[in-house]
Amino acid sequence: MAEAKQGNRWTMVIDLDKCTACQACVIACHAENNVPTVGPEQINMGRAQHWLRIERYWQGEYPDLRARYIPVLCQQCQHAPCEPVCPVFASMHSDAENINVQVYNRCVGTRYCGNNCPYLARVFNWFDPYFPEPLNEQLNPDVTVRYRGVMEKCTFCIQRIHAGADRAALEGRPLRDGDVVPACAQVCPTDAIVLGNLADEHSRIHEFVKSKRAFALLEDLGTEPAVIYLKGGESHVS
Amino acid sequence: MLAELPRKFGWPHEDNPQERLLLDPLPQEDMNRIMLRPMLKAGSGWWLVVALLSAIVLVCFVGAWAYMIRWGMGLAGIRRPVFWGVFIATMVFWIGISHSGTFVSAILRVFNAEYRRPITRAAELMTSFSLICAGMFPFIHLGRVWTVYYMIPMPNQRQLWTNFQSPLAWDLFAITTYLIGSTLYVYLPMIPDLAMARDHTTGWRHTLYKWLSLGWRGVEYEWHYLHMAIKIFAFAIIPVMFSVHTIVSWDFAMSMHIGWHSSIFGPYFVVGAIFSGVSAVITVLLVVRRTMHLEYFLRPEHFDALAKLVLIFSLAWTYFFFNDYLVEWYGGDWVGHQLLLFQARGPVAPLWYAMLLFNIAIPCLTLWNKRIRRSPIALFLITVGINIGMYLERYIIIPGFLHINNMPFDWGNYNPEWPEVSIAFGTLALFILLYTLASKFIPLIPVWEVLEGQLSHTRRRIGRTVVTSVAELE
Amino acid sequence: MSERISRRQFIALSGLTGTAMAVSGCTINLQEPTHLEPYVVPPEEALPGQKVMYASTCGQCPAGCGILVRVSNGRALKIEGNPLHPLNRGKTCARGQAGLQVLYNPDRLRNAVRQDQRGAKNYRPLYWDAALSLLADRVKAAQPGGVAFYGNLIPDALATIVTSFLQAIGGQPPVLYDTLAAMDGRRTLASATAALLGSSTPNLPLFDIGQADILYSFGANFNETWISPVAYGRAYGQMRSRPLGTRGYFVQFEPRLSATAAVADKWVPVAPGTEGLVALALGGIIRELGLARAKDSPAAALFRAVDVRGIAAASGVAVEKLEELARAFARFPRPLALPGGGLAGHTNAAPAMTAVMTLNALMGQAAGPESPILLTPAPPDPAFASALPSSFADVKALIDRMSSGAIDVLFVAGNPIYDLPVATKFAEAMARVPFVVSFSYIVDETAVYADLVLPNNTYLESWGYQVVTPAGARPCISSQQPVVTPLYDTRQTSDVFLDLAQRVSDATRKALPWPNTVAFMQEQMAKLVGKDASYSTKTAAAVWAGFRQYGGWWPQDEARTQARQVAAPAGVMVPRPKLEGDPAQYPFVLYPYPSTLLGDGRGADQPWLQEGPDPITTASWGTWVEINPETAKELGLARDEVVKVISPHGQIEVIVYTHPGIRPDVIAIPLGQGHSNYGRYANRRGANVLGILAPAVTDAGDLAWAATRVRIEKTGRQQTLPRIENNVGVDFANQAGKFPG
Repeated sequence: MAEAKQGNRWTMVIDLDKCTACQACVIACHAENNVPTVGPEQINMGRAQHWLRIERYWQGEYPDLRARYIPVLCQQCQHAPCEPVCPVFASMHSDAENINVQVYNRCVGTRYCGNNCPYLARVFNWFDPYFPEPLNEQLNPDVTVRYRGVMEKCTFCIQRIHAGADRAALEGRPLRDGDVVPACAQVCPTDAIVLGNLADEHSRIHEFVKSKRAFALLEDLGTEPAVIYLKGGESHVS
Repeated sequence: MLAELPRKFGWPHEDNPQERLLLDPLPQEDMNRIMLRPMLKAGSGWWLVVALLSAIVLVCFVGAWAYMIRWGMGLAGIRRPVFWGVFIATMVFWIGISHSGTFVSAILRVFNAEYRRPITRAAELMTSFSLICAGMFPFIHLGRVWTVYYMIPMPNQRQLWTNFQSPLAWDLFAITTYLIGSTLYVYLPMIPDLAMARDHTTGWRHTLYKWLSLGWRGVEYEWHYLHMAIKIFAFAIIPVMFSVHTIVSWDFAMSMHIGWHSSIFGPYFVVGAIFSGVSAVITVLLVVRRTMHLEYFLRPEHFDALAKLVLIFSLAWTYFFFNDYLVEWYGGDWVGHQLLLFQARGPVAPLWYAMLLFNIAIPCLTLWNKRIRRSPIALFLITVGINIGMYLERYIIIPGFLHINNMPFDWGNYNPEWPEVSIAFGTLALFILLYTLASKFIPLIPVWEVLEGQLSHTRRRIGRTVVTSVAELE
Repeated sequence: MSERISRRQFIALSGLTGTAMAVSGCTINLQEPTHLEPYVVPPEEALPGQKVMYASTCGQCPAGCGILVRVSNGRALKIEGNPLHPLNRGKTCARGQAGLQVLYNPDRLRNAVRQDQRGAKNYRPLYWDAALSLLADRVKAAQPGGVAFYGNLIPDALATIVTSFLQAIGGQPPVLYDTLAAMDGRRTLASATAALLGSSTPNLPLFDIGQADILYSFGANFNETWISPVAYGRAYGQMRSRPLGTRGYFVQFEPRLSATAAVADKWVPVAPGTEGLVALALGGIIRELGLARAKDSPAAALFRAVDVRGIAAASGVAVEKLEELARAFARFPRPLALPGGGLAGHTNAAPAMTAVMTLNALMGQAAGPESPILLTPAPPDPAFASALPSSFADVKALIDRMSSGAIDVLFVAGNPIYDLPVATKFAEAMARVPFVVSFSYIVDETAVYADLVLPNNTYLESWGYQVVTPAGARPCISSQQPVVTPLYDTRQTSDVFLDLAQRVSDATRKALPWPNTVAFMQEQMAKLVGKDASYSTKTAAAVWAGFRQYGGWWPQDEARTQARQVAAPAGVMVPRPKLEGDPAQYPFVLYPYPSTLLGDGRGADQPWLQEGPDPITTASWGTWVEINPETAKELGLARDEVVKVISPHGQIEVIVYTHPGIRPDVIAIPLGQGHSNYGRYANRRGANVLGILAPAVTDAGDLAWAATRVRIEKTGRQQTLPRIENNVGVDFANQAGKFPG
């Protein structure tokens, strides 16, 4: 099983033309990954815990104004700046999925990775999460509940990647495109988010990453993200 | 050859030899008495100070830290994107202070700067004590301090190892090496003085000093080995000192963050550290001299010489500061430009201007003047100001620069919260407390070194002029 | 389980699940002892470690999306969209995701309670039997017609039962008023469609925007809350999936740049209430230029003699711009104009919606097999007829009856004290009703003033069905079933009415003979025997099984229902909107809008929705007022300043957010907050803008929710609005013209 996983390259494509900033992915991520809510005071301090946030920039002035939305999550860099700076290997590259993983029980909380992430994709557990009974009933048993003092970030729903691989193994077949759907892609009404294995030639994302609209966030930093964005389109009628 | 240098440049205040410690000898016993008197007598004032400092350390440092461990890092004001704040700034500050001792003692020793003799001990103690303060911050700032041993490379069943690529791992080793090295370096020259104290005390103090002085008798081979050991350490500790602050600067320079990823950070930080360290030495010596009545040992000539060092390092620091600014400006990165504007106009602007005032304007405009260099009050104010300015520099570089990044949506303002300020203040109290306690247990002036200097210095009349001659010691 | 599982895999898998359980069990709360559940005899639905998906229907808004709930060990873990469901096709919105926090809300009522003194918040627990006898006595003792029911857009199973019950005791039909439905303009849209197509029954259409080449949306915030945001979101994705060049051009006409307008290719800030006039002007220009494709259609008559200049002056859109927009609309083969909820809030709602619908007719898009306007197909059986929401006029009539003492027992399955403008005096009228019963699952603002609270099961613990309206391409009855055993001693309201029917009279026993909702549903579903579905419908049992397993009933293939022809709309011109309040005293027009996350306030008890950032302001956990930066400068206001927004009917305190995309004469406030009683996550946060609205009525009989004028007063206080954006950085990026990516 482990051998079969070698050489996978999980890649996410986000079509900015389709994103409507409806926040469904943000809430789905909270639900799937046991991401706690922190309350207004903490948000005011800049400690929102969202693994996935939709950044909104303004372009132009009234009345020719447009919002530019860009969902930002961990870019799962192939040359991740967070990895070399961690003194305890809590932030490390996973060879099986070719993504960047955070080992919660290894993390000592230096937060260096957070400083070094150019995408600000990492969030820190400043306090213990609080799930008053019976809200804790909802917690996903496939995902660790993180305690105070550890960094966390988007995992591409690695539990779903594993579940998909296990299911494929049980059925005695290779992993197919569409076997693994992370929570954000699953919920996205406009299908703006697609996850696929770049190593799989038949995957849907193959044509996306070849698109002329494809770009990586802060490409010049050389981090080689595994999240590819498709630029928003422009239509002009006059 | 190096020994020639001080002679070549002449001695300060040749006109009045009585001002100079090494030309104004006292019998050894008298010097011992001057040193031991404040050590053996603990007045109510001293007890009061110790009690007060202990209370501050207990409440502000231990208490606040325990509270923070219990509830989480969130009690500090740090946030995304400013993940490092007062803690790391204070750590860098204390590491900077720690450079004083080694610089003043080891480098001046290597260069045979004779005026170093009475001030080495006080400076070296500062190194150890400030390193203790600095070394605590990597623990304090950890989200999960109870798992700190993960950072130590030790065999375990999971075959997990420390990441030697991480500047934080380098930090750990550099600080530990420096702490051990500098503690040994302060201890070695202390042995003869501890033996002196042993011979002049009774009771538990005698027992203590007996143990600490390792049976020193003062026979010739002992002196021979001591000198050799001190010399080895003096040479060895200098590269360690430079590496420590370079490595600390790499915590920032090795990252990808705008304003941090600068190749000049190594020397910039070292110069800044020595600048603040030497200033701190002056501040501490002024306090020690006043409270322990050591006017015989610590004379205006010493402060004059140290103040000149401060002036030189102020200029050097200014160069590096400007250089760092210029490179960022010339780089032309749009966020980098914003970072520069942010320093002059953003929320840290008052701190930035205060830093320029304390670090450049005041020292450069005042320390040219010999009278100011020799005035204890002026020097005290200037050097305290420099350390405030250097603290502000670290604050601006660490949390300040983190305000701005490549994702303008995620810029963020950082305001320190009380636990951070309290813990930082607590370490200041801890530093003073350690020093206060040390003043009763450790002879702050290396009497034997002064004596040695005095023995080698004589004044001779050559023709009409009287010149100082220094004999080579064997 | 297949035979191919090797021993190793079995061990690995059981280890995995065991670890997962241990992890989830250990890490909840260190202070609490860990609860071990020895499943010697596990409950039927709880196979340890085995995850089961239950199909049901989302209850977070009236759209009726199909959901699948992942359940393991008797715990509902995650809500996902039902991929088979024709409306949402496996997708959900943010509110749909947060449904678990309705189920597991820590502030839920755990049993039936009685309150001796209204508003005292002193609740005595009551056995269900005692509660129901008490209720039956009250209903029996009520004067004729003295029992009334007020509710939101409740699921159709409950609505059917309640309607039968009220009919049997001779009461008036239930008043189903829903703020979201009012803000969507459901009733007005349905009537405007009927008027255009010459049908006598209102029909709520679904617009197929996915195929549109050019889309003009008049105040339709379809990516946020409008009617069926998930269905529209899917269609929007289709529209944007088309290759560059033929990708649909999308223009939004709205006084405020909403999240929908934010992704439009062009946003036209029209004066509030003039959207219909603009549509009229566009149609007039198209007709005048001879670009209309259905010149002979009776629809064209509406656009005769349009005062384009007058409309340009009133709407603030220049004549040249109108002409440009009109030409663009006429140029593409598949234009589509959406009559959005924004139109429904003004006094000219009905003609405005008609004007927009007629614009489609003018371009030949309103009828025919190619028409993008999909009418809701007739249900397979008349028993599944779904009621449209009641009008605001109906609510007013109910309030009048309540104040006159004509009502003895009032059932409330909504939150009118929060939902209705204070000026309607609902609370005062309710105080005159001798006996009030609330079915709220949590003590809300209305339940506080109820005598009896009979907590409903949450929608994840209930049986029921919903006739999806609008359904789009095919009729759809969405099924609802409990995904977990009810957490507490609560009872679903339809069961309460069935039980009550047994106790009240022979008439009610005859009208509602079923022992419980399941029996009722089985009988209803039996009517689907023999109907086309993706599962066997040969027997009632098969239908019942398939209905629950697949999440409802719908035909296998799409059967789009479009109008055959266009009838002549009443040739009324669109009047100017009437705004409540003196412009000299109240200089701003208040534009309330439903929050993308909290909806009309029903989502405020769910921390995920509270914490979710608003798409436009990125703010959460509070209420803000959006003001144009120029206006704010004139008023001397800055961000994060607390101001009073004062209407002729009340005032609220909100935090200023300068929104670069709002007309200078308009201020906008989102709905959702300002709860005084709605659980710990909602209480005492922000303000409720619904309270200060003028109780004006549109010409379609709905609440003119956008027709209130207000003024702003400083309070001198500062309060940071929790939000994740950094305004300095965002403004700087806009000035520099640089964005990440």
